[in-house]
Amino acid sequence: MSLPLLWLAALAAPSLIVVALGRAGLEVERLRTTAAGCAAACMLACASVFVSPKLGALHVAWPFAGAHPALGASLFRVSELSKFLLPLPSTLWLVSVAVTPRSRLDAAGLERTAAATLSTTLAFLTESPTLLVALWTTSNLLFVGGLSRTEHHRARRVARAYLWTSASLLAAGVLLESFTTRTPLRDAGVWLIVVAVLIRKGIFPFHAWIPEVFDSGRMGPIIRFSAPQLGSYVAVVLVVPHASAGVLRALAILSLVTAVYGAALALVQRDARRACGYLFVSQSALVLAGLDCTSPQALAGSLVLWLSSALAFTGLTRTVLALEVRRGRLDLTRYHGGYEELSQLAVSFLVLGLACTGFPGTLGFIGQEMLVEGAVREFPALGFFVIAAAALTGLAVLRMYFSLFCGARSTSFGLRRMLLRRERVAFGALTALLVVGGLLPGTIVASRLEAGHAMLHEREQRAGGVQE
Amino acid sequence: MCLAPLVPLALLSGAAVFGRRASENAVAATIRTSIIAGSIAAGVALVERIANPSATSLLSYGQWFSYGEDAFRLDFVADAPALGFALLSTGICGVVAAFSLSYLHRERGFHRYFVQFCLFTLGITLVALAGSIEVLFAGWELLGLSSVLLVGFFHERPATVANALRVFTVYRASDAAMLSAAVLLHHWAGSGSLSLLFSGAPTAALGPGRSLAIVLLLMIAVAGKSALLPFSGWLPRAMEGPTSSSAVYYGALSIHAGCFLLLRAEPLLVGVWLARLLAALAGAMTALYAALTMRVQSDVKSRLSYAALTQVGIIVIEISLGWTTLAFLHIVAHASLRLLQFLGAPNVLHDLHELEDRAGGRAGRRVTRKLPAWLYLFALERGFVDALLDRMVVRPFFVVAGWLDRLDRRLVGAPDEGGRR
Repeated sequence: MSLPLLWLAALAAPSLIVVALGRAGLEVERLRTTAAGCAAACMLACASVFVSPKLGALHVAWPFAGAHPALGASLFRVSELSKFLLPLPSTLWLVSVAVTPRSRLDAAGLERTAAATLSTTLAFLTESPTLLVALWTTSNLLFVGGLSRTEHHRARRVARAYLWTSASLLAAGVLLESFTTRTPLRDAGVWLIVVAVLIRKGIFPFHAWIPEVFDSGRMGPIIRFSAPQLGSYVAVVLVVPHASAGVLRALAILSLVTAVYGAALALVQRDARRACGYLFVSQSALVLAGLDCTSPQALAGSLVLWLSSALAFTGLTRTVLALEVRRGRLDLTRYHGGYEELSQLAVSFLVLGLACTGFPGTLGFIGQEMLVEGAVREFPALGFFVIAAAALTGLAVLRMYFSLFCGARSTSFGLRRMLLRRERVAFGALTALLVVGGLLPGTIVASRLEAGHAMLHEREQRAGGVQE
Repeated sequence: MCLAPLVPLALLSGAAVFGRRASENAVAATIRTSIIAGSIAAGVALVERIANPSATSLLSYGQWFSYGEDAFRLDFVADAPALGFALLSTGICGVVAAFSLSYLHRERGFHRYFVQFCLFTLGITLVALAGSIEVLFAGWELLGLSSVLLVGFFHERPATVANALRVFTVYRASDAAMLSAAVLLHHWAGSGSLSLLFSGAPTAALGPGRSLAIVLLLMIAVAGKSALLPFSGWLPRAMEGPTSSSAVYYGALSIHAGCFLLLRAEPLLVGVWLARLLAALAGAMTALYAALTMRVQSDVKSRLSYAALTQVGIIVIEISLGWTTLAFLHIVAHASLRLLQFLGAPNVLHDLHELEDRAGGRAGRRVTRKLPAWLYLFALERGFVDALLDRMVVRPFFVVAGWLDRLDRRLVGAPDEGGRR
């Protein structure tokens, strides 16, 4: 067996083991421990692309020669773009396994998380349109499958409507783009893919489903589904290289408006879950805004922001979930207190939230700084929307912090209030990761800049090819 | 100088992130060592600068990170005003740290206070020494966050927390203006160097229109941070924090940070008369407003903070008139005086109460003398500044956002919660 195939097997094995053990009926806490080990193993396997030059330039061709454009040039490929994204799903998997409360843990959920991690990791490894459609659909299925209980019927209905529409549009767009030679039809194909991405990422005017699913669905599956931002990857692979400058500009403007819109609405929410939903809308839009710019700075900034917001947002929403388990549904119109009992959770919440707002000393600051510079160069007026979004996000995060952790102390000091060791380690590590990344950003920035240049180069090549 | 607060900050916050706590003695030793080291470094650098005025003032520690042609440069300015303000800051922080170690002894939030205090010391040092607009912005943000967290220090009281959020709202507007100015400077001048900004070169290179835009944004940033009109409403709200933090923020340093920035950017005002006029107007109106409002305050911290604001207004007028040396001396003297007044206030009040107990009646004269009723009401309501901002900005924002939220809910068939947030 060749090294690439061995490596792919090593990537897939941890998820498959968890699914198999779950099916075999392993006790749920033991399954959690196994899943944590498997997630760590998967992370290590993904991180090996930084060590091995051969894996860093991995290219697995389709087994048959002369593959159709719909299948793409290769089956799997490790590019500069995917290098840093690869460990992301397994990191989020590890965090999710470590901090999911006992009362919300079930074997089926652990299996779905493992399968979703595998599907997202494979998606980050491929540039094949057909495979991307298949993996996109798989992740939709896994997500909607997690909303099977009666109390989640509204979230299920909304998610189904939006996500199946987006999957259908993506499939139709790929078909039109790959099977037609006429420019108007190909352009229509690109537009269909753009709309699919807008829906999946919750960009205005297709954003309303995200806060609703956060509100009435299960927090765990929606965090797992939204945080890695598969929609951004599809935009980079299927939209950015093919779309005209006009399409990209429209997409960037829409994203910047959404970033402000999401942050503004997060600020006025009464419920912590809905506020998280709108925060995701804003973060997701900021990432997409940079990806649609044509300056390498904005592109690189957006890629850094992608990593940072995925980690920070996951941590932030997981802290909300950890609190919700201890206190019930979290209303933001009153002060819940309890800082002294849950001070570590409060500190983590604040730092992770500040990372979302691009506060100095966190990785988010680096990404936002680069994004603002790039966006201003491209759209001088609209670049200030990034600044406005950051200001509003900061306010929304601090309002949540004050509401969730400040106020009169509760008289019930139970053990349930204390953080468990696995929660302490996971939140601490995530916070430390974002701070260390923010203080020593050199490697990440250099890699993302290279990825940005590669994306622009590919785009120019394609544009040249079309002109010829 | 920047490392001095960074070391205890890293130790204390690292411990907090992983749920550990150092003893009060260990915290005290770390804080004392770092502040003394910072003060010595600032003092030595200032003496060397005075002895050697021709030496280069730009200290470049390379790039933090670079992206293409741009880079985040770790540049610091070590000229006399920067070092003077840095020495003032570390000195004042040293006094306040010594006071706080006793003042907050066995307080539940002892560690939290010192983490935020270190964050503040780092922020003010960065603001004082910043040589690039990115470093300045980082310091500016740290200053704002630490300030707000200390306003909300006694977080069991809902009013304290609500006031902290209000202060943060103004600070975010100020930060956004500062970042916008930074970005515009980068975009138009092709450099984020503060040496360039402080030299006044952009005025000639950019033309008056663009210079005016940058100066106006800087003025908004300064007004937000130094509580100039129309942002003065947050100042009494910020008095909710511990006395020691009120002393360092709203008596001594933070409230002067905006003035210091304006002082450094004064060369930019040279060719832009409109900016000068606006700065002078903002300063004069703030001074008048604060002097009037101060007279009707019933608690000592609010009274002192408005007295400080009066002087801040006058400092802004001095800067707009180009009297930079006077303005700098004014900042140093005023910061030192207010610091002592704030820190001494609890003792003065204690003595006064004891005196009144022994005398069996009120000591001293009444707070207000005869004022026309409308002026009294104006001063009592603090110029209706908060009410005006509420009506013009906050309420419309909530109305529009609430309407959009209801629209979003209807789009997906969710029940409408409605009402004000």
